[in-house]
Amino acid sequence: MNAESLLDPTVLARIGNLELLARTVVDGFVNGLHRSPHLGSSTDFAEHRSYMPGDDIRGIDWKLYARTDRYYVKQFEAETNTNFMVLLDVSPSMRYRGATEGPGSVSKLDYGCYLAAALAYFSSTQRDRVGLATFDQDIVEYVPPSSKHLRLVLHALERTAKSAASEPERPAGAPSRAAALEAPLQKLTESLRRRSIVLLISDLYEEPDAVLSALANVRGRGNDMIVFHLLDRNEIEFPFADATNFIDLETGERMPVIPEYLRTQYREVVAQHTATLGQKMREQRIDYALFDTSKPLDKALFTYLLARERFSTAR
Amino acid sequence: MGFLAPAFFGGLIAIGIPIAIHLINRERRVVVQFPSLMFLRKVPYRSVRRQKLRHLLLLAMRCLALALLIAAFSRPFFSRHAAAASSLMGAKERVILVDRSYSMGYADHWKRALDAARSAARGVTGNDRATLVFFANDPAAATEPTANQARLEHAIAGAKLSSEGTRYEPALKLAAQILSASNLPRKEVVMISDFQRVGWGRRDDVQLPAGAVMTTVDIGGAPATDLAVTQVSTDRDRAGDRDRVTVTARVTNTGAAARTVDATLDIGGRAVESKSVTVPAKGVAQARFSPSVVPAAATRGTVRITHDSLPANDSFNFTLAPGEAVSVLVVRPSKPRENQSLYLSRALNIGDRPAFHVDVRAEDALRAADLTSRSLVVLDEVAPPNGAIGARLRDAINAGTGLLVVPGDLPAARWTPEWRALMPATLGAVVDRTRDAGGKVASVDYGHPVFEQFSAPRSGDFSTAHLFRYRQLVTSGDSGVIAKLDDGAPALVEKTVGGGKVLMWASSLDEYWTDLPLQPVFLPFMHELAKYAGRYGDARTWFQAGDVLDLSRHGELTGPFVTDAGTDAATAALVLESPSGHRAPLTPAGPEHLATLSEQGFYELRGLGIAAGSGRPIAVNVDPKESDLSHFDPNELVAAVTATPGAGTQQKGEAAAPEELERGQTLWWYLLMVALLLMVAETILSNRLSKAEA
Repeated sequence: MNAESLLDPTVLARIGNLELLARTVVDGFVNGLHRSPHLGSSTDFAEHRSYMPGDDIRGIDWKLYARTDRYYVKQFEAETNTNFMVLLDVSPSMRYRGATEGPGSVSKLDYGCYLAAALAYFSSTQRDRVGLATFDQDIVEYVPPSSKHLRLVLHALERTAKSAASEPERPAGAPSRAAALEAPLQKLTESLRRRSIVLLISDLYEEPDAVLSALANVRGRGNDMIVFHLLDRNEIEFPFADATNFIDLETGERMPVIPEYLRTQYREVVAQHTATLGQKMREQRIDYALFDTSKPLDKALFTYLLARERFSTAR
Repeated sequence: MGFLAPAFFGGLIAIGIPIAIHLINRERRVVVQFPSLMFLRKVPYRSVRRQKLRHLLLLAMRCLALALLIAAFSRPFFSRHAAAASSLMGAKERVILVDRSYSMGYADHWKRALDAARSAARGVTGNDRATLVFFANDPAAATEPTANQARLEHAIAGAKLSSEGTRYEPALKLAAQILSASNLPRKEVVMISDFQRVGWGRRDDVQLPAGAVMTTVDIGGAPATDLAVTQVSTDRDRAGDRDRVTVTARVTNTGAAARTVDATLDIGGRAVESKSVTVPAKGVAQARFSPSVVPAAATRGTVRITHDSLPANDSFNFTLAPGEAVSVLVVRPSKPRENQSLYLSRALNIGDRPAFHVDVRAEDALRAADLTSRSLVVLDEVAPPNGAIGARLRDAINAGTGLLVVPGDLPAARWTPEWRALMPATLGAVVDRTRDAGGKVASVDYGHPVFEQFSAPRSGDFSTAHLFRYRQLVTSGDSGVIAKLDDGAPALVEKTVGGGKVLMWASSLDEYWTDLPLQPVFLPFMHELAKYAGRYGDARTWFQAGDVLDLSRHGELTGPFVTDAGTDAATAALVLESPSGHRAPLTPAGPEHLATLSEQGFYELRGLGIAAGSGRPIAVNVDPKESDLSHFDPNELVAAVTATPGAGTQQKGEAAAPEELERGQTLWWYLLMVALLLMVAETILSNRLSKAEA
């Protein structure tokens, strides 16, 4: 089994255990890249600075005091252990899958679970503290970040995936469970006591301004944000042929649609939406990546590692 | 609303198939679950709902066009056609033909026919027009084309049965003329009749204008039983010095059962004899009455039987009259050849039907009184008289007396200008054919009354006679040649002068120039020649309703009144009074010598000033053929007279058949046009949509 097939979400869907899945993904990915598994871990000395009142006296370099008779404090390149918090959107729209078999047969939620599990595992190997929060309109499940919470995170992800698969279709007239970033992110931000790397996995069916407004809370606390925007191929290309009624998985709204007459305009609207999101997030120094759930997960891992590397240089 | 071909509605399946497929597909994928319609809602509305609506409009137009096509092929029509069809299809020209032949008097046929005519008149609504035509042998329009129902009703109320038979062809031709002259879009003939087989011949040929509809209202149809006196013959014989007549009546029975009836002979209004006659089923029986003496004057006679369902043919009228002789005056030269007039006078003296009274006068012994009451004057090789006698003779000719001129070898110079103007030919040279065995009568006009008797084979051969000498006759423009010789020279020529005939024979009437008097054909030839020139017609004992009485050919009827009046036949005033009392002025000749005998019964012809009942009775009977009540299918008639056979139909009462209603309304044409317009609109709309989408 080569590395590429190991990253194919269709293949991954056959693996029932998320831990095994995450290990398979990360090890395969790392072996394929021939990179050091310790990449990103840093305890390197950076510089000395003068002691200021209030500094922890444990940081005083006593050897240098012995030579210079002055108090200096040692500073390092970065924190070696950080919080890695995964925010997974579990709203009904995330359950969408464009096909029953082959490419696109994995729902966005499953894909998101794979990503979350893989990256949590990966972070755990980096000795980061991993945590998980699933949400739709509110926090659904929360696993606080901890270096010992990888299994809890994986279990939570597994439960989420199974409950989504077993949950019946949304009955007509049922109350809307559309994802709303503002409230859950607000709560999450308040719970994060340390600076964290926050990974948001969602299909972002909100207006770009609303998304940015919600993310601004997280960014304002000094957290680093990575946003994985998951979309099914059907949501991007809109390949439907027959005129029929479309039903909104989140709100239950029906709309008669003749796909052939609005496919071009739909694609334009989606492209404009993702472009706006990308542009505004870059302006906010948020890493943004759009994922087609029919594509392998390597892009996601690359994106994460690049972001992790960049974050590791921060002091 | 009805349909002639409802099976075409099976074609609606063609519309149902795509719709069914659409519904099935729709059922299969009722909805597509999609993560969010947020982006779809951002697409302009036009691209979703309006596009759908436009396509729904296209679908509706296509389905409607197909449905209209199918409906057109199913040939719809409105059942309640009268007012609805009139307002929908335009005004209608209707000709209502009502049979008033005497057979319609059977049972309640006439009443039902008038009811049907009223119903047809009430069907005239809006801008419709109708013409009411009553017909028997001949049609007569009772109204001009009118939309006034009251006028039609009034004409129907005044209608009476005729004594004539049925002929459909003239009535249909009149209807065709009326419809052809109409500018209304719809044309219809409503024929109300008992549809007797005898009224429509296989050779009858009449066509209604294209698009005209014929509706038939069949009053007859049920098997009819009838007894009728269809024929009366009068056989004469002579008992001593008195003429006797034996009357025999022919009674027919069209019923399926034999019937016994009483047949009564009336003569002069008095019942003479009555006989019981048993007539077999669908058979004939004769009632022979005892001989009776022929009255001294023309007398009315009737044979009648007990009245049944059709009274008109239960009696038969005839007249009994004593024999009437043709008075002939032969004028011979003062010094005649031996036996010059012998052959002629002997020939005419033979025979009693009619009897010829021949008087022979010498040219120089001729008096004016000799010309009185003469039917024929023969100038046997003598010049026409001059002076007062000549003038009297010319007057007599104008009054109807015939003149037979045998010029012989008389010089033409002896004819005065007055006589030259009356003669049918001028005299030429004498042709001598003794060297070639004489000329022969090679060409005769067998259609002429003189030679009509000889038209049948072995009924007289003129080619056996030889004309060794004859006079060259040069005819004028107003005379006719009725016999020619083998060299083309005229042998017998004629000219009409006033009420009389002037004929000229080119050879002689004895054996001096010809051997014709020695031939067997001579005697009948002289008889026919004298009867024609003397204006003698076989005395008819009865006429048939519808016959035209030509008084110029019935001298036996007018003779007493003309000769007594002593006036010009063209101006002699006579009156013909019908059985119903209608009086019509007539003259024995001239422009008013014709009268139609349309009523059954006894007409009376008399001179002005003569009391009623003293004139000459003329018996008129109904056409015996009309007594045959055999029925035929009106559809035969409709198929024969309409351009599209079977388009018309037989109907009881007022309701018309679906085929006829549909043909009259032609809704399919309008549906087809609407469908085509829809298709054009659909093409334009779909092209525009395609361009807009491209």
